[in-house]
Amino acid sequence: MSVSLRTLNDVVRPPTTAASALATQEYFVNMGPQHPIAHGSLRLVLRLDGETVKEVIPVPGFVHRGIEKMCEHLGPRQIVHLTDRMDYLSALMNNWALAMTVERAAGIAVNERIETIRTLMAELQRLQSHVLWWGVLGMDLGAFTPFLYGFREREVIGEIFEETIGARLTMNYIQPGGLMYDIHPGFARKVKDVARYIRPIIDEYDTLLSGNVILQERLRNIGILSPEKAVALGCTGPVVRASGVPYDLRKVEPYGVYGKAEFDVVVGTVGDCWDRYCVRMEEMRQSLRIIEQLIDNIPEGPHMVVKYGARIRIPEGIHYGQVETARGVFGVTIVSDGKGEAPYRMHFRSPSFNNLWAVTALAPGWRIADLIAIQSSLDLVIPDIDR
Amino acid sequence: MALVLDRLPGIVDRFPGGSILVTSIDAVINWSRSNSLWPLAFGTKCCAIEMLMATGAPHQDMSRFGAEVARQSPRQADFMCIAGAIVKKMAPRMRMLYEQMAEPRYVMATGSCAISGGPFMYNSYTIVRGVDEVVPVDVYVPGCPPRPEAFFYGLMTLQKMIRQGTSIREPGVRRKPVMAALPQGITMDDIQGEMRRLLEADNVVNVAEEAGEKIWTEKIRIWMEKHLYKP
Amino acid sequence: MALAPGSSKRDKVNRPAVSVPVEALAALAPKLRDDPALRFDLLLDHTAIDWIADGRFELIYHLYSTVHGHHLTLTTSVSRENPVVPTVGAVWPIAHWQEREAFDLMGVLYDGHADLRRLFLEDDWEGHPLRKDYKDDSMLGLPK
Repeated sequence: MSVSLRTLNDVVRPPTTAASALATQEYFVNMGPQHPIAHGSLRLVLRLDGETVKEVIPVPGFVHRGIEKMCEHLGPRQIVHLTDRMDYLSALMNNWALAMTVERAAGIAVNERIETIRTLMAELQRLQSHVLWWGVLGMDLGAFTPFLYGFREREVIGEIFEETIGARLTMNYIQPGGLMYDIHPGFARKVKDVARYIRPIIDEYDTLLSGNVILQERLRNIGILSPEKAVALGCTGPVVRASGVPYDLRKVEPYGVYGKAEFDVVVGTVGDCWDRYCVRMEEMRQSLRIIEQLIDNIPEGPHMVVKYGARIRIPEGIHYGQVETARGVFGVTIVSDGKGEAPYRMHFRSPSFNNLWAVTALAPGWRIADLIAIQSSLDLVIPDIDR
Repeated sequence: MALVLDRLPGIVDRFPGGSILVTSIDAVINWSRSNSLWPLAFGTKCCAIEMLMATGAPHQDMSRFGAEVARQSPRQADFMCIAGAIVKKMAPRMRMLYEQMAEPRYVMATGSCAISGGPFMYNSYTIVRGVDEVVPVDVYVPGCPPRPEAFFYGLMTLQKMIRQGTSIREPGVRRKPVMAALPQGITMDDIQGEMRRLLEADNVVNVAEEAGEKIWTEKIRIWMEKHLYKP
Repeated sequence: MALAPGSSKRDKVNRPAVSVPVEALAALAPKLRDDPALRFDLLLDHTAIDWIADGRFELIYHLYSTVHGHHLTLTTSVSRENPVVPTVGAVWPIAHWQEREAFDLMGVLYDGHADLRRLFLEDDWEGHPLRKDYKDDSMLGLPK
């Protein structure tokens, strides 16, 4: 029986020096919770030898709000607004995961209009999230211009959300039982305009950044993740697809109307940062393809099949549902004891939490600048890690 | 420059018409300070995307107000725009960043998480209910997340506060904090008094008891004493 | 589930689910990953439930096979007084950190874990918040 409890001070301990006169010593540097490339507040304790990273110790928890404990006091509709504060860049997909799990558990069947609109919104949000990722990747690597271009596009897509949902960031739209509001009559035309506008913009992004020699040198062959290691480290989403594993929930376990839309699963070969970059760029084009197929045929029907005040009872047991967000697989585990509306235990399988630890396997041996490239290509959202 | 400015009012005031000179220099300094406020990019969660990144972006342009230079180092920043929830683990670090900022420094609490704990106020075991438990706040910008337009109104309120202040005579003096987006002629005291009367009239909540017994303030104070890094 | 004696079907789960005794877990985990018909190589999620009325913790492992495409939910129970579970970090490396989270928030102890530290909370935090009997003065409940 060897359970030994430790603290951070046990891990961060200066090693003993070597005996020779011109010896180098490893030292610990803190990339604290507030630093230029933080996508949130993540603390990385680095053990460095000169500028080479020997070990990365992520210390999360600086945005840990205890959402899982809070959910034990809230009904399913109230939990929806907390899901979009976890991974706020895929807020609608997080809402959908919870809605899907609750609907399957409680036996609520939603009609096809609801599923089509949910799929469209999810793909628009995936596009928006990848556009923001592209901008922030450029900014992290030192190029500020992609940031401005990326946010310009993000605002354009955000206008669709604002007209339909009313919110720019924390959507709270996809509820168990349907949607919060119905789409407005000009929705299809607006989405088609935006899709027509964005299609050449993605090519413009390639012209602006992808062909840049400096970017390619910083991303090619850096942080290579083999497929077995990616799966063993629990990575999902573009990270594992870039390593060669074609695991995309939209194809493997279709939900919504993904079964009806034709699109490709983008898979990389080498698994380095460049592959992760290219996978996300191509996923943007596939998202546009899905949107263009679905936008013309939105069926008619009500937008909410459950009455607004009705109690949703989740039967006793463990219920698990998952969706493919822009970062990976977002899973919801609801453990219900059958009494009352609030779940007995709620657990969120967040993609950023499971993708984060790949950095401990990828970064050692590279320089600090490469660590930044690796972390940016993993596309982490820190509140998703901390929940 | 600061040494000169500290002594200047005392010397100049003695001459006739000297106070006019000090007031004019005050106006110039306040004007220039308010038009180049450099935020400290302190975003923890969702509000950071709206308040720091989207407002720096082309559609809502923060550089119209001179504030697009978001510095990551507190030594180079003018005001700390707290965008996002603060939890107990982060609170000592935030206090440390606030103390590292050079005077005159301002704090803007954007978003409901920073004002009062926001959606996480109830049943969360780590949240700090309101950033004003840890640092003194000048402007509150409500919203979840606030629209960039609301953030700009808060920024303009901060600019107005700076322009009405007296930089030379009393450089570090804090004015009473304001809530952005209050209509003209109405103060925070008015609104809080009316809320108190309504709540007590309906017997919904015992305001004195809830407001007076802020046990979490005491807990945060004890927590900060234990965890704040003292050099 | 002929692979592990003492295991039984855990019902009321919306995936195929199996409940095993905790002593069999260490031997079962490598077989789940390596057996050619099963090949559960992706540990999607690992979490713990506090059944305080029964006096036990129930640990859940959501497994998935990228090779065959099937799911399995594995559960095991330990008592609340002595919640010691063997670690599966050698089989699925991501469990290393998922177990740290379960330790931090629930207080489940993992036998053989190389680095059992708190993950989200400070090292000197007292108590394990997700337990049902966790008392904290600074938690604010909804007003009555």
